[in-house]
Amino acid sequence: MTAPTIKLPAPLFARLSPHPFLLRNLTATAAAADPARPPAARTNGRGTNETRPLHAKASSLSHAHGSSLVRLGDTTVLCGVRAELLPVERIPLFRPVDRVGDGERGGGDGGDGGDGAGEGGRALLGRGELRDYDLLVPNIELATGSAPQFLPGVPPTALAQTLSTRVYSLLHSTGLVGVEDLRVWSKPGSGEGGDTEMEGAGEAQEVQEGVEEEDRVVAYWVLYIDLLFVSFDGNPFDAAWAAVVAALRNTSLPVARWDPEREMVVCSRTEKRQLNVRGLPVACTAAVFEEKELGEVGTGVVEGRHWLLLDPDRLEETLCREAITMVVDCSDGETRIKSIEKQGGTTIGRELIRGFAVIAEKRWKEVQGAMK
Amino acid sequence: MADRRRINGPAGATIPPVFDDASTRGPKSIKSRSRPANATRKMYLKTGVTPSASGSAYLEIETSATPGVSGLKLSCSVHGPRSLPRSAPFSPHIVLSTHVKYAPFATKQRRGYLRDPSERDLGIHLEAALRGAIIADRWPKSGVDIIISIVEGDQDRETSQLQGDEVWDMMNALGGCITVAAAALADAGIDCVDTVAGGVAALVQDAGEDSIPTVVVDPIPSEHEKILAACCIAYLPTRDEVTNLWFRGDLPASDIDLYTNLVEKGIQASKNANRVLVGCLAETIQ
Repeated sequence: MTAPTIKLPAPLFARLSPHPFLLRNLTATAAAADPARPPAARTNGRGTNETRPLHAKASSLSHAHGSSLVRLGDTTVLCGVRAELLPVERIPLFRPVDRVGDGERGGGDGGDGGDGAGEGGRALLGRGELRDYDLLVPNIELATGSAPQFLPGVPPTALAQTLSTRVYSLLHSTGLVGVEDLRVWSKPGSGEGGDTEMEGAGEAQEVQEGVEEEDRVVAYWVLYIDLLFVSFDGNPFDAAWAAVVAALRNTSLPVARWDPEREMVVCSRTEKRQLNVRGLPVACTAAVFEEKELGEVGTGVVEGRHWLLLDPDRLEETLCREAITMVVDCSDGETRIKSIEKQGGTTIGRELIRGFAVIAEKRWKEVQGAMK
Repeated sequence: MADRRRINGPAGATIPPVFDDASTRGPKSIKSRSRPANATRKMYLKTGVTPSASGSAYLEIETSATPGVSGLKLSCSVHGPRSLPRSAPFSPHIVLSTHVKYAPFATKQRRGYLRDPSERDLGIHLEAALRGAIIADRWPKSGVDIIISIVEGDQDRETSQLQGDEVWDMMNALGGCITVAAAALADAGIDCVDTVAGGVAALVQDAGEDSIPTVVVDPIPSEHEKILAACCIAYLPTRDEVTNLWFRGDLPASDIDLYTNLVEKGIQASKNANRVLVGCLAETIQ
């Protein structure tokens, strides 16, 4: 008489003991019981280096100035960019920007008035304005019932706060949005105020004539970037960042001018200007799954095997302690690493990070295809 | 006191863009309804948009014929039933908790992240509407969370000043919330006596001094000159029961039948929504 064997369906097994479940899935080649199954597949059927396809859809909202919907498997993020005006009178410690015209329209024409400061200095100045006046305001909302652990009615979870801060710092460090696009100039000669696109030429003329009517910054656009998770299934940062980039690429701001009579900034209803977004940074995340379970911290235990799981889902994220996120940008031909973040363990060494750059590069190509 | 758990942006308050109205004023100012008085807008309903939740649904109401007016877009997820925390007092019924939240980009004015009183109000009305439909004593000592994100409210993007329309917008939002929550509850497999759906009817006065007020279903504030009264009804069709009735505005005292008429039109709108709901659920089963 044989002992009765208990057969559990896979989802139940995953709920009861997730770690052995994932481990057995990953080591399926050793068992080789089922030749039909591809070797070393994850519980979600993907290979370790396989990502979920990313789908991006732009301009799905009508009240926002730019928006995007990004789907990464079962993770769905909705991003809306809304611009509001910040008059300079409301900025404490405002430093007037007096260099007329330089780098104002897309840069590059650094012929006029560059008093000593080179390109780098100018870029630095712009970065300073963005950060000092806090012109980019990203916020991530997870508490939309996107997953059972995120319920509304409580303050944002640590994860939501971390994600917002990571997006915030990455926005500033990548220089995705230039401050030139966010400045609103008082156009003194509002006779030609209609064709603001041509203003670059007009300003150059003014400079040559000698600046009697000074052109000053009267306000800044503040971009409120709000991200709403509709559905959450792991890897929130990659999805959120892709949504931010897609939404910013979709953003167009109304052409604004200074109305001296009303003493306020008014915007044109019909004219819009596309926001310039530099480059296409793409985030790529992987989690490290270790053979020994999280709880058991054995001393002197031999190093177990580990797997690098690209684009982890919700189950995998709960089982992995260590994760790496690399942000790369290959839009100007060569791969540039914009940021590397690694937390939670010591498995990933220098070689692994170097190898990971290649994976991230591959991911960049996929995302670039999806963004078009 | 700024919320330190979020990124708040600049210290000085920002102002939403003010548009130059001089250039484009003209045909836009004529307000007219693009549908017959007793026709509701088309809606699209889909269940199972949030796989990590027990049940979920997405509702989208057709964008109006007037350009610039967005349709309502709602996403709802249901979590539970699950056991109440130990600290909670004993409950012989299922405890419903409803959350309705506008997304920051849902309306013309940017919304904050903290729930404001109108959103709480919507949540309470929604709870009342659903309570009558759920068979609550099948799950003692348990709770269910119903969370609705209003991704986009129906508002006219073009009008620059607010005209006190938010009150009427809330009616439409509630009607949508009830329908989408019923779909999500069914998707979560929570037993209900019937599918509840929301419908809105309003008494409107169109342009012209001496025009007689008429009753219309599914009103869009931007299509009417003035809304005198509106009511939102949650209705169970097979039981012929109203689970929630929300009436706002004032009716002329001269006509007594007007109130009943308004409620009947609301029920008619609700029946229309229910047809979509049942169709969507039948599609899911197949």
